[in-house]
Amino acid sequence: MTRTLTLTVNRQSHRIAVAPETTLLHVLRNDLALNGPKYGCGLGECGACTVLVDGLAARACVLPVAAVVGHEVTTLEGLATAEGLDPVQVAFIEEQAAQCGYCLNGMIMSVRALLNHDPHPSKQAIRAALEHNLCRCGTHVEILKAAYRAAGHDDEGECV
Amino acid sequence: MNGSASRRPTGIDRRPGSLGGEGRFGVVIRPPVYRLRDGTFVCSRLLGVDRNSVAALPGRIEVVIEGNFVGVVATSLQAAREAARRLHLEWQPLTATGDSPPRGRALEAESSRHSGNTVETAAPQGRYLTRHYGWPSRMRWGDEPGWVVADHAHDRLDVWGPTATPTLLKRDLMALTGLPQETIDLHCTAQASGIGRHCGDDAAADATLMSRAVGRPVAVWLDASYVRDVESLGQAQRIAVSAELNAQGAIERYRNRQELAGSDTPVVALWLSGVLDTQRHDDGATSEPVSPPFSPYTFRDQRLAAPGVSREVHGDDGVLELQHGFARESFLDEVARTSGQDPVALRLRHLDDRRGVELIESVTRRAGWVWPTKANEEGLSADVNRGRGFAYAQLPDRHGRIDEGVRSAWIADIEVNRITGDVSLTRLVVGQDSGPLVDTAQLQEILQQRVLGVARPLLAREPSFDEWGENGGGESQSKLTAETRDVARAPCSTPMKGSDGEQVSALSPLDEADLSPGVAVIANALFDATGVRFRQPPFTAPRVRQALQGECGTSGSEATAGRRLSRWRWRWLAGAAVATAGAAAMLWPWKSPIAPVARPAANLYSAETIERGRLVAEAGDCAVCHTGQGGIDNAGGRAFDTPFGTLYSTNITPDEATGIGNWSYAAFERAMRHGISRDGRHLYPAFPYTAFAKTSDADMQALYAYLMAQPAVSAEPPANELSFPFNMRALMAGWNALYHDAAPFRPDPSRSDLYNRGAYLAEGLGHCSACHSPRNVLGAEQGGERYLAGALVEGWEAPPLNALSRSPIPWSEEALYRYLRGGESELHGVASGPMAPVVAGLGELPESDVRAIAHYVAAQMDASVNDTDDARSQAQQLVARSAASTSGMEAGERLFDGACASCHVDTGLPSFTQAKVSLALNTNLYSERPDNVIQSILGGVHATNVSGIGEMPGFADSFSDSQVTTLVEYLRARFAPGEPAWSGVAERVSQIRKDDNKTHG
Repeated sequence: MTRTLTLTVNRQSHRIAVAPETTLLHVLRNDLALNGPKYGCGLGECGACTVLVDGLAARACVLPVAAVVGHEVTTLEGLATAEGLDPVQVAFIEEQAAQCGYCLNGMIMSVRALLNHDPHPSKQAIRAALEHNLCRCGTHVEILKAAYRAAGHDDEGECV
Repeated sequence: MNGSASRRPTGIDRRPGSLGGEGRFGVVIRPPVYRLRDGTFVCSRLLGVDRNSVAALPGRIEVVIEGNFVGVVATSLQAAREAARRLHLEWQPLTATGDSPPRGRALEAESSRHSGNTVETAAPQGRYLTRHYGWPSRMRWGDEPGWVVADHAHDRLDVWGPTATPTLLKRDLMALTGLPQETIDLHCTAQASGIGRHCGDDAAADATLMSRAVGRPVAVWLDASYVRDVESLGQAQRIAVSAELNAQGAIERYRNRQELAGSDTPVVALWLSGVLDTQRHDDGATSEPVSPPFSPYTFRDQRLAAPGVSREVHGDDGVLELQHGFARESFLDEVARTSGQDPVALRLRHLDDRRGVELIESVTRRAGWVWPTKANEEGLSADVNRGRGFAYAQLPDRHGRIDEGVRSAWIADIEVNRITGDVSLTRLVVGQDSGPLVDTAQLQEILQQRVLGVARPLLAREPSFDEWGENGGGESQSKLTAETRDVARAPCSTPMKGSDGEQVSALSPLDEADLSPGVAVIANALFDATGVRFRQPPFTAPRVRQALQGECGTSGSEATAGRRLSRWRWRWLAGAAVATAGAAAMLWPWKSPIAPVARPAANLYSAETIERGRLVAEAGDCAVCHTGQGGIDNAGGRAFDTPFGTLYSTNITPDEATGIGNWSYAAFERAMRHGISRDGRHLYPAFPYTAFAKTSDADMQALYAYLMAQPAVSAEPPANELSFPFNMRALMAGWNALYHDAAPFRPDPSRSDLYNRGAYLAEGLGHCSACHSPRNVLGAEQGGERYLAGALVEGWEAPPLNALSRSPIPWSEEALYRYLRGGESELHGVASGPMAPVVAGLGELPESDVRAIAHYVAAQMDASVNDTDDARSQAQQLVARSAASTSGMEAGERLFDGACASCHVDTGLPSFTQAKVSLALNTNLYSERPDNVIQSILGGVHATNVSGIGEMPGFADSFSDSQVTTLVEYLRARFAPGEPAWSGVAERVSQIRKDDNKTHG
C-alpha cells in the first residue's frame, strides 16, 4: 500500500509516494537519482550501500524507507559543501584508494560516520569500523591509508 | 427440492467458470430511472450503446439490448460486472413527466407515519379514523443471494431459481419469449407459503432474455442489487380502511376501500424490453370485480368494496386474503390502541361467532395475554424492545361456506433491536379451529411449516427449528404453541414431512390464507414494541431501522439513543461488568441460520462508536488473522496449519456476497460468542470465539459498527482442507459442549481494577491464550498450570507467559509494557513473527490498556514491577560473556561474521542499523526449540510500523539448509552457552522452509 512520506535527504525535503516497506536504497537510487550508495549484497553484509542517518552509518539496503522519516539522511552526494569536498573524500583521492570503486561509497561513508563519533580514532578503531565493509579488488591497503589520512594519522610509512 | 438446490441448480456453484464450457454469466444494467406507479410504467429511454467501450475487455463480452433492457454477458461474473461498469450507455433523461422521486422514497412513505397517510377527525358521535395499508409489488430477493439460471435453446426454456409464484413466472416467461407453456420448464423451488412475488422472478426473466440472445445458459447472481426493482415497482395494493367510533369505543361504521389493485406486477424485463405496452397494465382494475373480501366481524354499518381485479389475472387468492387480512387486523389494532382499548376485547365485541370467541379466549389464556401488554424488560440489553401483538382471521372454505371455514388466532412476542433493526420472533401462540376432524399432530406440523414460511420473508429471520413445540425448548424463549381444536378437514392431502418445498407448493392456494393473521400479528407486535406502525410489509431489519430513525425526531427516541451512545464512552471495564447480564439473557436461536440483511448504512453508527470499534478491532488483532499473505486487510485467506488440516481465515469486510455484509448484529454476536456462522454452521475454534465470548456488549456493538463501516472487498477464501473427522462441522457442537464457556468476562473482585482490566483484554479480545496456551489433542486450549504455558503457532513458538518462561533475564511488568508498546525490550529482544502485528495493533490502544495487559501478564509470571539491578548486571554479564566465541565452531563463526556481524556485533561505534538487543539476551536462543531462530534467519524480522522492532532481511534465498543449521547451532553455543545443544536442527530447518514456501506461495 502506497503512502506519501516526507524524507530529508542531503538537507533537502522530499515528498515521495511509496510503499513504506521499500528499502531506503531503492528510494535513493530510483526515486531521488542519488546513485552514490551502491547495491551490493542486499542483505546488509557488504556495506556498499552505506549512508548516514543522523550522522550514524546505516545500511540502506535493509532499511525500510519509513524508518527514516523524521531523520536526516546523508548520501555520498551530500558530503561535499560549497567550500569543497569532504576531507574524507579528499583523502581517498589523494591516496588513489580505488580499484573498481564499487565499495568506495561504503568505505567513505563509514569513515565519515566514525569521524563523526570520534574525530581522532586510533588505527585499531578505524580497522574495526571498516571490518564489515567488503572490497573484492584487494585495495585494502590504499583504503586504510586514506582513512588514516582523513583521521589525521600523518605517519605515512606504516599502514598496518 | 430444498433450499440449497434452489441456490445452486444443476451443479452450478459459486465459482464462475463451472457452468460448463458453454455457460455464461450475466449482469443487467437498469435504466437510471424506471418506476411503476398506479399501473403506469415509465423509464428512461436508451438512446445509444457504445459497444466499443467494452470490446477490448477479456471474458468474451456480449452486450444484450432489447428495447430499454440492457444486459452484459461474459465468461465470468467478474468480467461481466467489470464490463457493465465500463459499458458506455446514453439514456434520455426523464423530463417530461417531471416528478421523479428519489430512490427509496416510495418505501419510506409507507413504512412509517406520514402526514397525508393518516386522517383523524372528530366525528359527531365519537372519533373517525382512516388508515392506508400497502402491499409491495415485490417482496425481497429471497432468503439469501443465489444463482438464477436460464437456458433458452431449441425452442424451449429451462429456468432454475427460487420463486414464490411459479404460475405468474411462467405466464411472464411465455409473454417474454412467445414460447408455448409446455416448452417452459421451471426447476424452481416454490418457497413455502410465499407472501408475494419476489425478485427471483425478475432475475429469471433477465437471465432468460440474455440466454436467448447469446444462445447459451446464462446465470444471474440474485442479490441485494435487486432491491432497486423492489423500490421501482412500488406498491401493488393499497387499501384504505376507515371507522367511526361511538362514545363507548365501539365501531359504528366501517369502510374498506381498495385504492389500488395492481394485483400481480409483471417482471421488470417485460416492461423494459417493450413486450408489455407500458400503458396497458391497469387493465386489471377495469375487469370484472370479484366478491368483496370476507370480514369475520359485524359492525352496524359496514361497507366492503370489492377489489377491482379478476381472479384470472390475480392468480393467487391467498395473497389477496393476506393483504386484506393484514389491513383489517392492523387497522383494528390501531383503533384499539388509539381509543385505549384492549385489542382483543375490541375484536370480541364485534365478533358474533361462538367458535371464534372460544378460540380467541383459549389462545389468549394460553399465551397469558394481559392488557396493556407488559413487556418484560428484565434481562434485556438496552437496545432491545419487546412487544406483543394479536391478530385473528376467519375464512370461508373452498365452497364459500363460512361456518365450515377456518378460524385462527395468533399472538406473537417479538424483540426489536433498535440499533440494528433486527426483529426476532421469540414466541408464537397460534390457535386454529378448522372443523370437526382432529389430527393435532398433523396440524401442528403444518403450522410449524407454514409459520416458518410466513415469518421468513417477513422478518428475514427464522425461528429455530429445534426449539419447536411443547417438549422441545424447555424453558427456552422460542416456542410455538399450536392450539388445535375440532379440526374440520384434513388440511391437505399429503402429510408434511421435513422441509420439502415441493410438497408445500402442492397445497391449495386457499391454505395460504389460513396464515393471514401472520402478517398483521407481527406489525401489531412491532407497534407494541416500538410505537411505530408499519402499514406495509416486509418488516426487514433495514426498514425497521429506517423507520425507527425516522420516528426518532418526534418521539425523542433518537435523543435517547444518542445519550446512550455518548454514555458508553470509553469505559471498558464498566461496560464489561454491566452489559454482561443482558447478553446472558439473550438467547439467539441455536444453530439456525440468521437471515441476511442489507449492509447497514455507513452513517448508522456514530463516529465515536466506529472509532471505539476500531480500537476493539486492534485489541482483538482481527486483521492479523483475517488478512492473507500480501492481501487486503480483513479480506481473509490466511492459511492456518493445524494438526487437523489447513484452515483459511474468512473475509470479514462488509461485502454481501463473500464477506459479512449481510450479517445482522445478532448473527455477528452469535459468531463472536458461540462460534456459529450466520448460516448456522459451526466455526472451527482456530477462530478464538472462546476468548471473544468474554467481550462486553458495548464493545461488541462498536466492533460490529466499525467492521460494517469499512470498505467491502469481494474475496472468497479457499476452502478448508481438513482431515476426517474434523471436516464435520457439526462435531464442533460437541466440542463446544466440552470446552466452550460462553459466559462473558466477570471481574475478580479481590483483584485491582488494573488487573481486571488487563484480564478482560488479555483473556477476551486480546485472546493471548489462543496462541500462548498449549492445546489438547482435540484442539482445546488447556487451562490450569498449562494456561499460557506456550505453544507452537504457524511454525513459530509462542513462548510461555507464565512461570515457565525461559527468558534468560526475568521479565518485569515495566519490560512487558515496553515490549508490548514499542515492540522491543532492552533485556529480552524484539517482537517478531506473528507477534509483530500484534504489537502494531496494540500501538493503537491507550497507554492505560497496554499497561493493564502488562500488569496481568506480569501477574501470571510472578514478575517484579521494574527491572532490578540484579537483572541488569546479570544481563551485562551475559553480553560480556558472548563477546568472543569460545565454541570453536569455525564454519558457524565464518557465516556469522559474514552475514550477521555487521548488525549483531557491537564494535563500540554506534550505527543506525545495529540490532539494539544483544543476541545474548534473546529469549529465542534459550528456548527448548530452535523454531523461532530458524524462522528469523529464513524470513527475517519485519514490522515497518513499529519503530522499535527494526528490520532484518531474510536469508532463505542466500543460505542453504545446511548453512542455516550450522549457523543456528553456532548461535546457540555462543549466545546461550549454558543450554544444551538443540537436537534435530537440520530437520526443523528443512521442515520450516517447506512450510514457509507453502504459505508464502
